[in-house]
Amino acid sequence: MSGLDALNIAKDSLLTHQAAINLTGTNIANSNTAGYSRQRAEFSTLVQSVEIAGMQRIYDQFLGVQINEQSNDLGDSEAKKDALGRIEMIFNETDGGGINELMNKFWGAWEDLSANPSGQAERQTLVSVSQSLASMFRSYSDDLRSVQDDANTRIPVLVNQINDYASDIADINARILQAGTEDTDEPGLNSLRDKRAKLLSELAEIVDFHSVKDEKDAISVFLSNGLPLVEGDQTWELDVKPDNIDPDPSFYNIFFKDDTDNVINTSIKKGKLAVFLEVRDTTVSNADETGYMDKLDALAAAIVEKVNDQHKLGYDMNQNLGKDFFVFDIDPEVEEARYMRVNSDILADINKIAASETVNGDGGNAVSMNAIKDTLTMDDEKSTFSSYYSSLVAQVGQDVAYVNRSVDHHTNLMSQLTNRKEEISGVSIDEEMMNLIRYQTGYNASARLFGTAQELADTLMSLVK
Amino acid sequence: MVMRISENIKFNTIVDNMFKSQDSYNKLAEKIASLKEINRPSDDPIGMNRVLNLRESRASVGQYTRNMDGCESWLTITESKLSAAGDLLADARVVAIAQSTATSSAERRSSEAGTVQQLIDEMLTLANSKYDGRYLFSGAKTEEAPFSSSGRSVAEIGTAAAADGNTFDGSVTSGGTYTGDENKTYAVKIVTDGELLADTTYRVSVDGGKTWSDPPSTDLVDGAPPIELGDGVQLTFTEGSDADHYLANNDIFYVQALAPGYYNGNGEEMSVNIGEGTPFAYSVSGEAAFTDDGEGSVDVFGVLNELKTALETNDVDGIAACLDGLTAAADQISKNISKCGARMNRLEIAKKNMADMDMDLVGLISNVEDADVSEIITKFSMKEIALKASYATASKIGNLTILDFLR
Repeated sequence: MSGLDALNIAKDSLLTHQAAINLTGTNIANSNTAGYSRQRAEFSTLVQSVEIAGMQRIYDQFLGVQINEQSNDLGDSEAKKDALGRIEMIFNETDGGGINELMNKFWGAWEDLSANPSGQAERQTLVSVSQSLASMFRSYSDDLRSVQDDANTRIPVLVNQINDYASDIADINARILQAGTEDTDEPGLNSLRDKRAKLLSELAEIVDFHSVKDEKDAISVFLSNGLPLVEGDQTWELDVKPDNIDPDPSFYNIFFKDDTDNVINTSIKKGKLAVFLEVRDTTVSNADETGYMDKLDALAAAIVEKVNDQHKLGYDMNQNLGKDFFVFDIDPEVEEARYMRVNSDILADINKIAASETVNGDGGNAVSMNAIKDTLTMDDEKSTFSSYYSSLVAQVGQDVAYVNRSVDHHTNLMSQLTNRKEEISGVSIDEEMMNLIRYQTGYNASARLFGTAQELADTLMSLVK
Repeated sequence: MVMRISENIKFNTIVDNMFKSQDSYNKLAEKIASLKEINRPSDDPIGMNRVLNLRESRASVGQYTRNMDGCESWLTITESKLSAAGDLLADARVVAIAQSTATSSAERRSSEAGTVQQLIDEMLTLANSKYDGRYLFSGAKTEEAPFSSSGRSVAEIGTAAAADGNTFDGSVTSGGTYTGDENKTYAVKIVTDGELLADTTYRVSVDGGKTWSDPPSTDLVDGAPPIELGDGVQLTFTEGSDADHYLANNDIFYVQALAPGYYNGNGEEMSVNIGEGTPFAYSVSGEAAFTDDGEGSVDVFGVLNELKTALETNDVDGIAACLDGLTAAADQISKNISKCGARMNRLEIAKKNMADMDMDLVGLISNVEDADVSEIITKFSMKEIALKASYATASKIGNLTILDFLR
């Protein structure tokens, strides 16, 4: 036991308390940094003195996984809300002026014509309204198609983001693996760990994955089909290529760069990327014809068929049997709303409108034409055109309302999880202040000890003289 | 368990709260601005569905009301013309009574013949009246003047006509003797084309093109014999010379067959819908009002012309014989005036029902779609207070920390 021991004890204590104060400083400095997990100095006894055993990052790994899952759900719902919101705007007829109103005007124009079959004004009005109706079908169809195209163009962008995140995560894994147990830059490594957690959370917004942390503290990321994006310090890149098949050859397929024959679109189940794939491949139009545009096409095709059939039963002003009233302006003919037009023969000569039931110029066929609006044509002959369309609009509304609730729900959950994380990992200035006082007291006491030890040494020295 | 509160939690809680308040506030502000509960389908999908369906019903109701207004005008004019016709017949009756007595003379009668001629001319003008560009009394043939001053003593078959879209360059002539007793339009439709007439299949219509014979016929022959359309009406086809202009599918040929008398229209009444699946016949055909074909039983022009002839030839018995005819003619006109009256009554009731229905629909739409302004404004004021509270709380952020208390 020597007086020098006290000096060493004091020295170690001073250094330790100094380090603790520095760490408190780091916490305070980062009290507003997003994703920062507070660090705590672990004091442990060193022989007779004290040392910092480690700078512990206060972070709950399980909570991190839950946050990533919620981030995935939230990213999914928000992307869906955006896309469906755009589609809702197309169908929004609360102020009128949409297909419902135009269909009503169309049938009305036939009825007006029936009262004055040779009237040029009535014929001209019918032609104008018919053109507006066809134009509105084309316009809705084009808008829906552009939602699809938009979703498609975002896919390569997101795939690039995935690759970037994966590469950054792998870099951090590499750094952490490299550090092993010799690296003394704990705060630096902790900050990398925080950054990695943030990257994973942001990646989760885009794509659903399963993450695994190994004993060396590297985190690997796997897609839902089990194939890895990141494994330790290695990454597997994704790529896109147009699929070159109908209906639109520019639609992208996703696959791993090293396995170009294996399309992995279906392995991406939730998140922004999944939403854009779904909007493009299912929501707007799909092979089962349940997409919004498919239903619009079905309505257009049915209207064109019924109107044309009735028109061909009637006589025009020159006693000719009627020809097609509407046409699909594409060769070979495809019955889609985007091609719907009024027959150009009728535009050229409105006397070709077949309003009559007989060769004597009556208005009987126009009356029959108007009656089509009340026939049950759609939904296996259970709905009229108008009720079919109202149901379609209501369907859009319901889908949007559902996803809005979903966004609210997931936002709340995310908020709760974030607060829980903050509760564990967040910096509290009040707490750090108390720590500062504590460590400063320890430091002051250690300094006093040092002074005392020094006096003891001086006393010893003076004995020798 | 005591919860740790970090700086971010304080911040997030206050900011989240503020955003929530602002969100509800803005949603209400939108409803006040538009005065609608439903500003997009997702606000109330079922409501939106109802609104669209109700709007369609309202559009239909508007259409039917317009139709009824048109019918009302038509019937009003028809009634007044028929009434004037009744007056003319009364005048003719006065002449007939006066001139059938022994007190008159051949010169008087001869001069009265001129009066009757004037009555006939006026009657002709009346019977050929138009409304809104269409003849009132021509049945469904509204483009052609229904009555001519000279009558037919025997049935006539008009010239064969073709729709102008036909490409056939041969000729079609009508022939035969019409044995029917009312005016009809006969038509032929080619249903398959053939290079030679003999290979062509066709159908016949006796009602102007509404319904067609089944099965189709194939007995077209170049030149002779003609094909029989029914009731003695015949059409003869002669081949053309140009290979590009044979008979084509859907070529239409038609011919008018006219019964004896003065009438050129037909017996159909025009109709429009005044409700869903509810056709309403509004026109009175000249056949029913002025002729003895179809529904009519007295040839009004025939009787008047008989009177004129009797006056011209000083045939007193003939003049007396016309009295019964004139009475019958006046009765027929009267009957048709009542028809107009009955129809107008029906229209009045239907119109009122439509107006009531429209009001109901407006109410229903409003219930679903419109915002209750006073309720919204009350909620809005409450949200405003909540928003102010959240702003006040937000301003306190960072005001109270331990730093205020450390030396």
